[in-house]
Amino acid sequence: MERQNVSRRGLLLGAAGTLAAGGAGYAVAASQSTNTSDAGVVPFYGANQAGIATTAQNRLAYGTLNVVDGTSAADLRDLLNQWSGAAARMTRGELVGQDTRADTPPVDTGEAVGSLPANLTVTIGYGPDLFDDRFGLAPRRPRALTQLPALPNEDLDPSYTGGDIAIQACSDDPLVAFHTVRNLARIGMGVVEHNWLELGFGRTATTSATQATPRNLMGFKDGTRNILGSQTTLMNDHVWIGAETDQPWLRGGSYQIVRRIRMFIENWDRDYLADQQNVFGRQKTSGAPLTGSQETDTPDFTARSADGSYVIPADAHIRLAAHETNDGLRILRRGYSYTDGIDPVSGTLAGGLFFIAYMKNPAQFITLQTGLGASDALNEYITHTGSALFACPPGLTVSQRWGDQLFG
Amino acid sequence: MNHGRIPVLTAGIATLGLVASACSSTMSASTGTSSGGDAAVAVTLTPQGCAPSPAKVAAGHIAFNVTNKNADAVSEAELRSSDGSHILGEQENLTPGLSGGFSLSLQAGTYQISCPGAASSTATFTVTGAKAGTTWQSDARLTAAVRGYAAYVTTNVNTLISNTQAFCDAIDAGDMARAKLLYPTARVPYERVEPVAEIWGDLDTAIDGRWENPVTVASQFVGFHRIEQLMWEDDTLTGAPALCTGLLGHERQLLTLVTSATYSPLEMAAGATDLINEAATAKITGEEDRYSNVDFIDFTGNIDGAREVVTLLTPYLKAVAPSALTTVAARLATLESQLSTYKRSPGYDDTGFVEYSTVLDAQRRQLSAAVNAYAEALSKISTYVSD
Repeated sequence: MERQNVSRRGLLLGAAGTLAAGGAGYAVAASQSTNTSDAGVVPFYGANQAGIATTAQNRLAYGTLNVVDGTSAADLRDLLNQWSGAAARMTRGELVGQDTRADTPPVDTGEAVGSLPANLTVTIGYGPDLFDDRFGLAPRRPRALTQLPALPNEDLDPSYTGGDIAIQACSDDPLVAFHTVRNLARIGMGVVEHNWLELGFGRTATTSATQATPRNLMGFKDGTRNILGSQTTLMNDHVWIGAETDQPWLRGGSYQIVRRIRMFIENWDRDYLADQQNVFGRQKTSGAPLTGSQETDTPDFTARSADGSYVIPADAHIRLAAHETNDGLRILRRGYSYTDGIDPVSGTLAGGLFFIAYMKNPAQFITLQTGLGASDALNEYITHTGSALFACPPGLTVSQRWGDQLFG
Repeated sequence: MNHGRIPVLTAGIATLGLVASACSSTMSASTGTSSGGDAAVAVTLTPQGCAPSPAKVAAGHIAFNVTNKNADAVSEAELRSSDGSHILGEQENLTPGLSGGFSLSLQAGTYQISCPGAASSTATFTVTGAKAGTTWQSDARLTAAVRGYAAYVTTNVNTLISNTQAFCDAIDAGDMARAKLLYPTARVPYERVEPVAEIWGDLDTAIDGRWENPVTVASQFVGFHRIEQLMWEDDTLTGAPALCTGLLGHERQLLTLVTSATYSPLEMAAGATDLINEAATAKITGEEDRYSNVDFIDFTGNIDGAREVVTLLTPYLKAVAPSALTTVAARLATLESQLSTYKRSPGYDDTGFVEYSTVLDAQRRQLSAAVNAYAEALSKISTYVSD
């Protein structure tokens, strides 16, 4: 397991020539050049789960699953144990398993054969309902993990809300990310079932100083002041669950909040530039705050113009979201742009921001969103249509597995 | 009805060219479970190496039980081909104190046990003789299963013909109400053995084809669903007697073919999966009986057919793959308990079920999850019953 040997994908079918039926096609696929040039491997094992502080990749496949009625605790534990092994393999660029026979369905679904891992990370989270009376997990439930309260400016679609388990797969290759969620769900068939699934096609956040700030679908840089994974003090103060939790097993984990934020893109595109900039509080092209000239300039929330009004308006998004105006509250954002095609009713683009954030206590987001949802100028152009909260456990050592970690 | 898939069953037509030399019977080595081996081989990881014990066994199903005793630098054992180039089975992530394993069928030959990180990282493993019972024909439990399945298919095609005859008699008599009641009953035997009929693709289209598959040409749309459309959508029997005569002719052709067909356990197992796949795609959506909404009774036909295969293979599976059998049974129980909530007496058109169009999307999704879970479990038994 010390190998980070991506070429093992070529070993898909075991002994060459033993599979007369169907083997040839796979052999060809495995010997072709790879779909991505990025052989980067992010270690799966470690103190914290990868996919939070690690450098944000460009693509996302995100699935929530529910445990099937009647599933036993032992079956769930066994599945989670299988999952961590499979996830570790996939992050190394290996198949879920190798086929040695042609008379059984392939262990791995196969679409990622020939693809490099492209920095694949697989991050698991557990929803509040998992800790109900079904699996005896109530004593393991952290007090902070409860259903999110109703929040302003949300119109939640049950088809994109909640779930027992979340899988966040991020990679610089979209096929690799999708393959991960697909195969984990397949392994779990009968024990878990899909609740909802979303693909993200462009990161909107930066978690590494080496990355430029990307733009959201509104054309703005909205992640300039994010916490970076390398900022250990900030990570410990705001993101990693620490000694404050009532559940020591969760230390080193983080709470994940997901909000599927529909943007009314056509309306936004019809807003004049100065107003767009006032809505965010930043210049559109440079990304600089309205009080500065460089993207990384610290916004001056006290600056006023000649007429006495704030340069960064009172309802500007960056003012309401800033830690300076929220008693120092911060979260780590790790979102993606998404689209589900066309709204069947209106014929408009159905897309926006698939917001993912990590924090040491869900109250951080609840406080921020209560303020933003009430008075953010951006609200005219967005509504939150999906929502979920999960507790992401800490990372695994090579001898640990997800099921054993959860059940203790 | 086949939607462009290549028929899995090849009864009497061709045989699958399977010459696998090794078969993994655990789907994922990382599960650490091993099942039902004829022989057990202990592999102990130590700083020195990973010598198997015994180092020589007879060909057959072999369970490798891997334990890391005290090797900090070693965490996995692999079974490789003799030249080391291919991994046939492995157990990873074993730190000191942990154990796991994998199991597979091996034919005679020399293999390697490999444990990267140990002082001596490869050991030789030898499999002797010929695999016991090299073909399924030498196992009485499997030959009995295949005989039972051939009889089941023939019986159902005979019933299909007699039920269709009764249905057609009602049509010939111009009795629409009676024909509607007999329509689902006539179809059920077909739904039980449909993967067999799909071997002869043209016949399947002629008996069970849909408007859009494979043609959208009115004159080529014949069989059950064309008559269904006439009765429920067009509210007429005009043209139905001729269609019925054609349908019966095609069913008699099918009977001739199945009577001389031969089957294998692998085909049976794959066919069972195919039946439930069929339920997952055509029944859940309500696509199949779109005019009459009697999908539930077709649904039960698919399940009957799959259940019969499992029942016939049970004496064998109980011995070689008890846990796979347990999973199949559990998934079926879940599905049947869901289906039972839609049972009514006498039900819609005497089908014993509610009208399928009344089943809400959320309920269909729940049914779908149960159907898919059952199909997935069924798909894993094929490997245990083939050579």
